[in-house]
Amino acid sequence: MVTPPPKNTPGGMATFNILHGFPEALVRGMRNSFLQDSDYHHMTQCETLEDVKLNMSESDYAEALADDTSLSPSGLQKAAIDKLVTEFKYLRTQTVEPLSTFLDFITYEYMIENVMLLLKGTLSGRDINELIAQCHPLGMFKESTMRSIPTFENSAKGYSDLYQTVLVDTPVGQYFAMFLEESADRVGGEVRNVLEEVEIEIIKSSLIKFWIEDFYGFVQKLGGDTADIMGEILSVRADTNAINITLNSFGTPLNEPAMRASDRKGLYPAVGHLYPAGTAMLVDVSDEDELGRVLELFPQYSNIWNIHSAGGGEKSIDDAFYERDVQMLELAFESQMHYAVFYAYVKLKEQEIRNLVWITECILQAQKDEINKFVPVFSHHAPWRMTKRR
Amino acid sequence: MSEVPPTRMNQQIFKGKKKAAESGHRLLKKKADALKVKFRDYAKAIAETKSSMAGDAASAFFSMTQAEYAAGNFKQKVAEGSLTARVRVGAGVDNVAGVKLPVFTKYETGAATDNTSLGLAGGGKKIGAVREKFSVLLDMLLRLASLQTSFVTLDEAMKVTNRRVNALENVTIPKIEDVLSYISRELDELEREDFTRLKLVQGKKEAEVAKQTKEKENQKKHNDSDITAAFDADDDADVVF
Repeated sequence: MVTPPPKNTPGGMATFNILHGFPEALVRGMRNSFLQDSDYHHMTQCETLEDVKLNMSESDYAEALADDTSLSPSGLQKAAIDKLVTEFKYLRTQTVEPLSTFLDFITYEYMIENVMLLLKGTLSGRDINELIAQCHPLGMFKESTMRSIPTFENSAKGYSDLYQTVLVDTPVGQYFAMFLEESADRVGGEVRNVLEEVEIEIIKSSLIKFWIEDFYGFVQKLGGDTADIMGEILSVRADTNAINITLNSFGTPLNEPAMRASDRKGLYPAVGHLYPAGTAMLVDVSDEDELGRVLELFPQYSNIWNIHSAGGGEKSIDDAFYERDVQMLELAFESQMHYAVFYAYVKLKEQEIRNLVWITECILQAQKDEINKFVPVFSHHAPWRMTKRR
Repeated sequence: MSEVPPTRMNQQIFKGKKKAAESGHRLLKKKADALKVKFRDYAKAIAETKSSMAGDAASAFFSMTQAEYAAGNFKQKVAEGSLTARVRVGAGVDNVAGVKLPVFTKYETGAATDNTSLGLAGGGKKIGAVREKFSVLLDMLLRLASLQTSFVTLDEAMKVTNRRVNALENVTIPKIEDVLSYISRELDELEREDFTRLKLVQGKKEAEVAKQTKEKENQKKHNDSDITAAFDADDDADVVF
């Protein structure tokens, strides 16, 4: 009797290293490139940006900053993002299926943002080159596709043409299709009306929703540890989006009772712990108290909500979300043989870039008391690590 | 001084001119004082606004940093969207003691607030805070611009008015006074001349009369033999019945 060959669950432990061992090793090596507590500490003590640059010359960012003669927060951000993109592209070339699809999924998020930027910019008549220069580098798609976007006419037929030929080719085209279907029912109009009437942020939120659901489905198909860990991360992401959308819609037209059921509901993803019961309740929420009451039912979010309602001065709800995200992403690095480390790496690098920009801006604007309000990555002093040690 | 003939009519004319100049001087002085008071007020207001603006500007830009930390780079999204001004500045004119000062007022055009859902997926509160802080900063900026243009215009007007006041005080009125005193001096002198002439003529007349009486006296003495000479037709009063 021949033992059957092992089932090829990509997320499974047995066969992982054959195909994906090298990329995973790369990512774990890159984990060392994150700035340490001591680096952050030195940087917050700096008085000028020149000192910051001096401090960074010992870290991984040395070559990235070698070209800039004088450092500015935006220059630093650009250099850091370029470095991340280079590393990511290198990783991508080393991967095979299905890890390569996974990495592509990560880039779709940025692609969505770029597509929206290009479309909206074209609607307002901006120059295509300026728009391309402002796209997020992780989400670039073919240059030819991008350049052809503004060549379409600014009319109803033009837009449907645009969609048929251009957007369909891009990986995010399917999300667009789903969005247009959904909104066609509501708005009852054509492609052009939808793009003009609905605000860019709402379109983007809908597209992100579809992306999260798609990603979630893909991850579940992979099975194994990937499905568990990545599924958890995506659920939390979906819930964060739902809560943020609800919270930030107060005071905007999105909060009108009529709009809530039709528009806001459509922005809540169909994955996550809050789905379906929580999101159904969120649809009816009209102010912060009601939101608080809904979140009381979900213990993992009631903590975060309490931080928000306790005081706006010290910490905001965004800070609390960032902290919780960083904690989860760091945990992803603790286990092996799954794809979530790649997602975690990209997101944690993003957080680090955010921290760097925050610190340099604070130094530049002489706001030293606020300078410590960032969330360090892989810090030994993170609150959740400290409690564990006790 | 030599060109004005010293007549009484001219004296009246120049008295009138002096009165006009003095009342004009008084009015201008009042205007200069009013302008000075307003000037000091404006200077104080500008100093206050500027010092509070420094703090406001710093906090506004810092809240921008916080919003970018929470919500990512939303600058491009705003810039790429449609830009219609929601707030416009209107230029009006304010009248202070006769001086027209430019004043800026804020108009809401009532255009729809675009980008209300900017921070929908994160950081919406921070973006709202940025919006408020920069609106406050905009208000202060408008006020400061208004104050400063008024200040500069006021400064010019004050200089002009002061120049006129000084001119009246130190040039015109003394000149008129000089002319007046010249005229009165000349008139006095003419009077004195007349007086002296009259006196001389009177003196001469008296001398003549004295001479005549003396001659008469002499003649009287010579005519003692002539009895009838002693009796004059006029000696007796006429007998009137």
